[in-house]
Amino acid sequence: MKKKLLAVVLCGAMALSMLAGCGGKKEDTPAADATAEAEAGDVADAAEATGDLSDANIAVFYYTYSDTYISSVRTALDAKLDSLGVKYQNYDANNNQTTQNEQIDTALAQGANILIVNIVTSGSVDASQAVVDKASAKGVDLIFFNRAVEDDATAGQVLGSYDKCAFVGTDAPEAGHMQGKMIGDYLVENFDKVDLNGDGKISYAMMMGQLGNAEAIYRTQFAVEDANAVLTEAGKPELEYFDPTNTDKYQVDQDGAWSATAANNYMTTNLSQYNEGNGNMIELVICNNDGMAEGVISALNDKGYNLGTADSTLIPVFGVDATDAAKQLISDGKMVGTIKQDAEGMADCISIMAQNAAKGAALTDGTDSYNADAEISNKIYVPYAPYTGE
Amino acid sequence: MNVFSNMKSSWNAKISSYQALDSKDKKTFWKETLINNAMYILILVAIIYTQAKNSYFLKPDSIVNIISLSAANIPIACGIAGCIVLTGTDLSAGRVVGLTACISASLLQSVTYATKMFPDLPVMPIWLVILIAIAVGGLVGWVNGFFVAKFSLHPFIVTLATQLIVYGCLLMYIMINGNNGQPLSGLDQSFKDFVTGSHLSVAGVPIPNYVFYAIVVVIFMWFMWNKTTFGKNMFAVGSSPEAANVSGVNVMKTTILVHTLAGCMYGITGFIESARIGSNQAGTGLNYECDAIAACVIGGVSFVGGTGKISGVVMGVFLLRIIFVALQFLSINQNLQYIIKGLIILIACSIDMRKYLVRK
Repeated sequence: MKKKLLAVVLCGAMALSMLAGCGGKKEDTPAADATAEAEAGDVADAAEATGDLSDANIAVFYYTYSDTYISSVRTALDAKLDSLGVKYQNYDANNNQTTQNEQIDTALAQGANILIVNIVTSGSVDASQAVVDKASAKGVDLIFFNRAVEDDATAGQVLGSYDKCAFVGTDAPEAGHMQGKMIGDYLVENFDKVDLNGDGKISYAMMMGQLGNAEAIYRTQFAVEDANAVLTEAGKPELEYFDPTNTDKYQVDQDGAWSATAANNYMTTNLSQYNEGNGNMIELVICNNDGMAEGVISALNDKGYNLGTADSTLIPVFGVDATDAAKQLISDGKMVGTIKQDAEGMADCISIMAQNAAKGAALTDGTDSYNADAEISNKIYVPYAPYTGE
Repeated sequence: MNVFSNMKSSWNAKISSYQALDSKDKKTFWKETLINNAMYILILVAIIYTQAKNSYFLKPDSIVNIISLSAANIPIACGIAGCIVLTGTDLSAGRVVGLTACISASLLQSVTYATKMFPDLPVMPIWLVILIAIAVGGLVGWVNGFFVAKFSLHPFIVTLATQLIVYGCLLMYIMINGNNGQPLSGLDQSFKDFVTGSHLSVAGVPIPNYVFYAIVVVIFMWFMWNKTTFGKNMFAVGSSPEAANVSGVNVMKTTILVHTLAGCMYGITGFIESARIGSNQAGTGLNYECDAIAACVIGGVSFVGGTGKISGVVMGVFLLRIIFVALQFLSINQNLQYIIKGLIILIACSIDMRKYLVRK
C-alpha cells in the first residue's frame, strides 16, 4: 500500500514536471489564455480601470523552494490567492539572482501585471533596483517580500524610486535583538545551571546560516551583543566564544544553505574537542535558524545531552523561525527558545497589497495592523515574536 | 603465509632493481616517489601540524569523530566511484541522498510526533525502509544508466537532468499531506538507535553503528569490484568500451548495473544521513556529490577510466575528512577554507593525471 502510494507520488511528480516544462513553474488557473491578447505595457492600466480581480495576473517569485520558512509563506499565500480566485503563477529562482531576473522578464512578457518578489540577493540596491526598473518600464505593481531590498545605509533608495512598489518583510535586525534578549534573560535566570564547568563564564557556539546575507549577519551580531547587554546589566560576565583561536566567532554553512547538516557536522567535531571530560564544554548554542538548531541538537543527543529526560544535561539551544519541528523540540524539553517568523501574517499582508494593486488602490491601504517603517511609508514589517513554548 | 612470502619477494625484487639504478636514475626515482605520494606526505604534515597546534586533534574523541564523519560519506563515494571508473560522473547523487533521506524520515517518524507526515502510518520495520531507500536510489540510478548506455549520452548530461528531476520530486514530496516543506524530524527512537546508537566503545568513546554499516558497504563493494565478473567488466568498459564490446562484454548491461548500484549506495547514504542529522528538508544532500567525487579523485580513481580501487576511495574519503576537521580544529578563516579545499582537489588531480602523461 505504502509502496503504491510512493509510486503514485513519484509518477505524479514526473508527469507534473513534464507538463510544467522547465523553470519549475506552476499553473494554478485553468483559464491560462486569459491575458494572451493583452500587451504587457497596458495590462496594468486595464486592471486599474476596471478595478477587478479577474484582470489581475500575478507572478510570484521565490528565492528558493527549499527554504523551510519560505515554503510556509508559499503555502499560506497559495491558499490566499486560491481563495481570491485570481490567476497567479509561482517561480523558483533556486537561489540564483540571474535566474530570477530572467523569470521576471518572462513573466512580464507573458502579461503579468502584479509582481511579488522574494529577491535572491538580499540587501543589495543594485539587484533590487534592476527589478524595480523592469517593473517601472511596464508600469506594473511590484511587491517585495521577506528578503531585504536595501540596507540601512541605502534605506529608501529603491523603495522611494517607484510609486507602485512596496516591501513586506521583517525588520532584519529585530530577530537578532529578540534572540539576544531571550538568551540574556534565560542565562540570568539559569546562570549557574548553564555554567557547567563553574568558571563563571558561559562559553557559546554560533551557527551562521550564510555569509553575506543581511539577516544572517544581523542575527549573528545582535544575538550575542544583546545577550551580553542583558548579562552585563545583571552583573554577570559577558558570553565567551568557545574556541579562543577562532576570530570569526561563528561557524558558517559553507554552502550558504542554513542547513542542519552543516550545523551537525560542526557540532560533532566541536564536541570531540570541547566536552565535559576536557572541562571546556560548550554551554550554549545560538543558531541563525531552527534547521541548524535541529542539527546541533541531534549532535548533542548522540553524546547524551538534551534528551529531554531528567538525568540528561540540557545545553540551551536557540533558533529562529519557530518551525513545527522546533516547537516540538521545545515542548519535549530539548531546545529552549526560538523567534517566530509569522508566515501567515506575511502572506495576509501580501495578499492585501495584491488586491490593492488589482483594484488600483495604493498598495499600503488597509495594512495599518502591521508596523510601517518610521521613515519609509511603503515598507511594512510583520513583527517577530519570541517563542519558548505554548 | 603465501601472501607474506609474495610480498617479501616483490620487495626484494624492488630493492634489487633500485640498486641496479645509476645515481641519476636513483635521483629521478626518489623524485617520482615523492611527487606520486605528495598527497599522503601533505596529509601527514597537516596531521602533525594540527596536532602540534591543538593537542585534542589525536585524542580518541576526535579520532572517532573523524572516523564517523568519514563513514557517513563512504557509501556515496563508493557508489560514485563506479561511475568515475566508466569515465563518467554522477551529479544526481546529492539530490538522491536528499530524496531517500526524506522518504526514510517520513516513514520512520515516531507515532507520537505532532506534525507527522503520514499521521496514520505506524512505525515501519527498519529493514523495509532500508529496502525502499535502496530501491528508490536504485531506480534513479537505473534511469541514469539506461540513458547513458542506450543513447550514448554523456553521464554529465544525463545526471544533470535527473538531478533536476529528483530535486523536483523531493520538493513535491516534502509538500504533501500538509507538511508544506517543513523539516522532517521527530524520528522514532528505534531508528535513531539503529543508526547512531552504539554497541562498542573504544577508549571510552562510543562508536556509532553506522561506522559498521559503512564497513559492510566497503566489504560488499570490494567484493563486487574485485571478485565478480561484473567488476571485471566494469573496468574493461571503463578502459575501452569498444574493446570490451569486441571481447564479448555486454557494455549496456554493465553500464546500467554500475549506475544502479551507485544509486543503491546513495539510498543507503540517505537512510543513514536521515537519522544522523535528524532533520531532513529539501536542502538535504545538497553538494554531497562534490565531496564524494573529490574523495574518489584524491583516492586515485581516475577520470581517465578503468582505474581505481575501493581502498583508494576509502582513503580519499578519510583524507578529505581529515583536512576538513583539521581546518576546523585550526580555526582557519572560512574564506580561506574554500581556497584550501580547492587547492587540494587541484593538486590531487594533477598528481593523478601526471602518471598518465609520463606514460605517453
